[in-house]
Amino acid sequence: MNNEVKSKINSYLTFKLSSEYFAANVSKVLNILEMTKVTKVPKAPAYMKGVINLRGSVLPLVDTRIKFDMPETEYTTNTCILVLDIIINNESVHVGALVDSVQEVIELDDVNIQPPPTIGTRYRSDFIEGIAKVGEEFIMILNMDLIFSTDELNLLKESFVEGQEENVK
Amino acid sequence: MDNFRKKFIEEATEHISELEKALLELERDPENKEIVEKVFRIMHSLKGGGAMFGFEKISEFTHNLENVYDLVRNGQMHVSKDLLDATLASVDHLTNLLDDDKVTLQSTVDKHKELTNKIGEIIALRQAISVESIKKSKESTEVSPTAKSAKEDKSSTYYILFQPNETIFDNGTNPLYLLDEIYGLGSCMAIPHVTKIPDYSEIEPTRCYTYWEIFLATSNDVNSITDVFIFVEDECTIDIHKLSDTNLLSNKQFLDKLEELHKESKDIGINDLQAFVSKLVSSKTLKEKKAEERAVATSKENSISSIRVSSEKLDTLMNLVSELVTTQARLSLYAEKASNTELIAIAENVQKLSRQLRDIAFSIVLIPIENLLTRFQRLVRDLSQDLKKEASFIAEGTDTELDKTIIENLTDPLLHILRNSLDHGIEDPITRMKLGKPRHGTILLKAFYSGANVHIQISDDGAGIDQEKIRQKAISKGLITADATPSHKELMDLLFLPGFSTATNITDVSGRGVGMDVVRRKIADIRGEVEIESKVNQGTTITIKLPLTLSIIDGLLVKIKDTFYVLPLTSVDKIYAADHSKLVNTFNNLIVLDGQQIPFFYLRGEFDIEENKGKNEQIVVVRYEDKRIGLAVDTVIGEYQAVLKPLGKYYKNQEIISGATILGDGTIALVIDTNKAIKYFSLQFSQNVTPEDKK
Amino acid sequence: MAKTILIVDDSESIREVVSFTLENEGYKVLVGVDGKDALKFLDGTEIDLIITDLHMPVMDGIVLIKEIRKMEKYQRIPILFLTTESQAAKKMEAKEAGATGWIIKPFVPAKLIAAINKVIR
Repeated sequence: MNNEVKSKINSYLTFKLSSEYFAANVSKVLNILEMTKVTKVPKAPAYMKGVINLRGSVLPLVDTRIKFDMPETEYTTNTCILVLDIIINNESVHVGALVDSVQEVIELDDVNIQPPPTIGTRYRSDFIEGIAKVGEEFIMILNMDLIFSTDELNLLKESFVEGQEENVK
Repeated sequence: MDNFRKKFIEEATEHISELEKALLELERDPENKEIVEKVFRIMHSLKGGGAMFGFEKISEFTHNLENVYDLVRNGQMHVSKDLLDATLASVDHLTNLLDDDKVTLQSTVDKHKELTNKIGEIIALRQAISVESIKKSKESTEVSPTAKSAKEDKSSTYYILFQPNETIFDNGTNPLYLLDEIYGLGSCMAIPHVTKIPDYSEIEPTRCYTYWEIFLATSNDVNSITDVFIFVEDECTIDIHKLSDTNLLSNKQFLDKLEELHKESKDIGINDLQAFVSKLVSSKTLKEKKAEERAVATSKENSISSIRVSSEKLDTLMNLVSELVTTQARLSLYAEKASNTELIAIAENVQKLSRQLRDIAFSIVLIPIENLLTRFQRLVRDLSQDLKKEASFIAEGTDTELDKTIIENLTDPLLHILRNSLDHGIEDPITRMKLGKPRHGTILLKAFYSGANVHIQISDDGAGIDQEKIRQKAISKGLITADATPSHKELMDLLFLPGFSTATNITDVSGRGVGMDVVRRKIADIRGEVEIESKVNQGTTITIKLPLTLSIIDGLLVKIKDTFYVLPLTSVDKIYAADHSKLVNTFNNLIVLDGQQIPFFYLRGEFDIEENKGKNEQIVVVRYEDKRIGLAVDTVIGEYQAVLKPLGKYYKNQEIISGATILGDGTIALVIDTNKAIKYFSLQFSQNVTPEDKK
Repeated sequence: MAKTILIVDDSESIREVVSFTLENEGYKVLVGVDGKDALKFLDGTEIDLIITDLHMPVMDGIVLIKEIRKMEKYQRIPILFLTTESQAAKKMEAKEAGATGWIIKPFVPAKLIAAINKVIR
C-alpha cells in the first residue's frame, strides 16, 4: 500500500549546495539537524566527513558537496545535516548529509517536473530524477537512494577527475 | 493437539542430542554408571512422551532400548561395542521418526526393522550369558533415597507480607484464592489486617483494603511461593522472608511469640521475629545442624538446574545492559563534575554493580565451544569408519567462549574442514605405518584467545598439502603462468579459490571443490579470517581467527588532537611516557623502552594528523601476535567501559576502526582494532622505501 | 451448580483441547471464535471465567478484554489470556486492559487447570 502512496507524495525539501538548488522527496528525509561536532574516522573516503552522535546512535556523515565534486564545505550558521533514510540492498540505512542550507518544503505536481536533460548538465542523469522550475530557479530533484548508495566518489558524467584512492585493502 | 506435539518435538530433539553426547562419552568410559543412568532416563522420557503425543513408533522403539539400558544399569549387562553402535544408529533413526515427512519413507521403515532386530539380538545374547551379581549399583542407588528423604523432612518457614493494591479486584482477582493456594503448600497461618479499612461512610466496596501477614511452613522452595502471586505481581506488594530452615509452626515457642507480637502491635513485622528466631535456632545442637547441611549439600549436587531462555529475551537483556553501562558513564562524569563526594561514591558503586551485571549477562550469551564438539566427535567417528581409517579427535581449550550466533555460523565451515582432514589428510593405517606414523591419526582442535580475537585451529598429522601439486593445478587452471614463482603464502591462498581442489579422487565426502571458498566466505561473514599451513607428510593446520564481538569492552581511552580513541584493554601491555623528538624522524620506527627495542607507530602520522608540537606524548604498548608494538598517542585518559556501536554500512571497508562508542558527555570515541591497525601500518611501512612523510 | 467458562480462540484445535479438558473437570464450556463472537454470550448470562487468545481476526483479545471490563455485570470477572513466552509487550498490554492472568502456550492440560484454579473455585 505504501509504495503507491509514496509515489504520489509530491512534497520535496529544497536545499542548497554552493549556488545550486536541489530537492529531495520528503519521504527520504527523517530529520534536519544543526551542524554539530563531527568525529572524523581516519582512512576513509574523502566524502565521508565522519560520524556524529544522534540521540545515542552513531550516524555516518557524508559531505554532499564532495560527492558533487564541489570544494569542501565551509561551515556557516546555515549549514545543516539532513538525516536520510536510504535503501541499500533492500535494507533501510540511516545516513547524514551535509548541505549548505535548507530552504523549505514545496509541493510539486508531476506535471511541473521535467525529465533531466541528457546533454548540457554536469551530472549523470540517473542521479537526477527531474528538474523543476520554481520561481526563478531551476531545482534538481535528486534520487537520494542512488546517490548515497554508490561508492563512486563523484557524480560527474565522465570521471575525468581521479577519485581519491579507496581506503584500506 | 498440534501444540502439544510441537512442544514434545522440541523436547525430544533436545533429549536426542543429549543422548548422542552421552553415548559418545559412554564409549570412552563404559563403566560410568551416571551416564548409563542418563541414557536410561532419556529412553524413558522418550517412551512416555512418544506415547502421549502420537509418536507410537518412537514409543515402541525406545521401549526396547529402555529395557536394555535398564539391564545395564542394574549390572546385568555390559555396554558392548555392538550395543553402542546400535544405540548411536538409533539416535539418527529417532530424529527421523520425529519428522512426519520421514516417518513413512521406506528407508525409515527398513531401518526401524533392522535396528529393532539388532537390539532384540543383543538382549537375547545377554540372556544366554549367566547373570552377574548386583554389586556396586546397590551402593549408588542407595545414596539418593537418603538425600531424598532428608529433603522431604526439610520444611522451611517463610514470612509473607501480602498487600494487594486497592484496585486489585478490578481485573478479576480474588485474593482469597491466592491464600488458598498458599495454604496448599504446607502448614500455614494467615493473619488478616483490617487497619486500612476506612470508615463505613467512606468505604468503596469495589476496593480491597485488607492485607495479610502469612506464615508458611513448606518443603517446597521459595519459587513455589512466588508462583502463587505470578498474576498479581504488578498489583500488589509481596515481601517474602525465610525465617528458618525448620518448621516453626510446629514450635510452641514460636507460636506463642506470634500471639504476643500480634497483641502488642497490629503488624507483626519481620524484625522482632527474626531476632527471636535466630535465638531459637542457635539452641539447636551443632550435630543436628551439621547433619542438615550435609543433606542439603547432597541434594544440591544431584540437581543441575538450567533453564531455557528465548533469544529475544537475551537480546533485550544485552541491550538494556549496554544502555545501563552508557548511562552509568554519564552518571560518573556528572558526579565528578559536581564534585560531590557522596555522589561520586554512589557512582562508583553503580559502576561496580553494572560491571558485574555486564559480566554475568555476557556469560549467559557467550557459549563455550564445547557445545559444538559432540557433532564433531560423531562426524570423526562415523566418517573414519566409513573411510576405513583410524582417527581420533582431541579438543583443547573447549571452554573458550563465543557469541552464540558466531558458533552457529562456525559449525558448517568447521565440519567441512574436518571432512577434508579425514578424507584427504589422514592416510589409511597401512600407509601411515609405512611412513613410520602411528596407525591412529589425530585431529586436534585448539581454541584460544589472542588479543581481541579467538583462534580456532584444526590440525591433523596426515599427508599435508603438496605445494608442487598446487602449483601444477594452478597452472593447469590457467591461474598462474608456468614460470611464475608464487610465494608459499600465495600458493596456500590459491586453495581458497572456488573449484580448486588438489584431490585426485573426488569422493562423496569432500573434494568436490565446493569447499574452501565457501568456508572463507562464511568466516568472512562473521568478520573472521582463515589461513592454511601445511607440510607434506607431516600434516595440515587450518587457523580461523575471529574477532570478539562483545558489544561492551573494557578499553583504554586515549586522545589524539581533538579526537578520542579506545584501545581494547585486553591488548594493552604497558603505557610509557615518550619524548616527542624520539617519535618523529626515526628511520626504523624503533624506540627503546625498559631497555628493549620496540617497534612503534606514530598514530598522528598514521591518521594523517599534523605533528604534535608538544614535547611529551605517551606510548601504549600493545600485544600483537607474539610481539609487543607501541602506539604513540597524545595522552592516555584512563580505563573506560565502552559500549560498542557499529559504524554502519558506509564504513564497511574500514578495518582499523572497529566501531564507535559514546562518551559520558555525548562525544564519540573511535574504537581501534589494534591487530588490524598494526597489520595495516606494517604493510604501509614495508611498502614505502623511504620513511613516511609525517606532515 | 457447575461453573461456566467461556473460551475464545480462533484456532479450532485449541478450542477443542480446552473444551475437552474443562468439561472433564466438570465445567460447562461456551465457545467463541473471535472477540465479536464471544460478545454474544455476554448478554447477562452467568459466566465465571473467560479464557481468550490475543491474536484473533475481527476483534482481537485486547479489545475484547477492554469491552468486557466496560460492562457492569462482567466488570470483575476473571479473565485469562493465552500467550507465547516471547510476547512480553502483549502481556503488559493485556494486563493493562484488565486481564487477571495468563496461560503460556504450549500448555499441557495440567497447566491449564493450575491457572484456572488460581482464579476460580
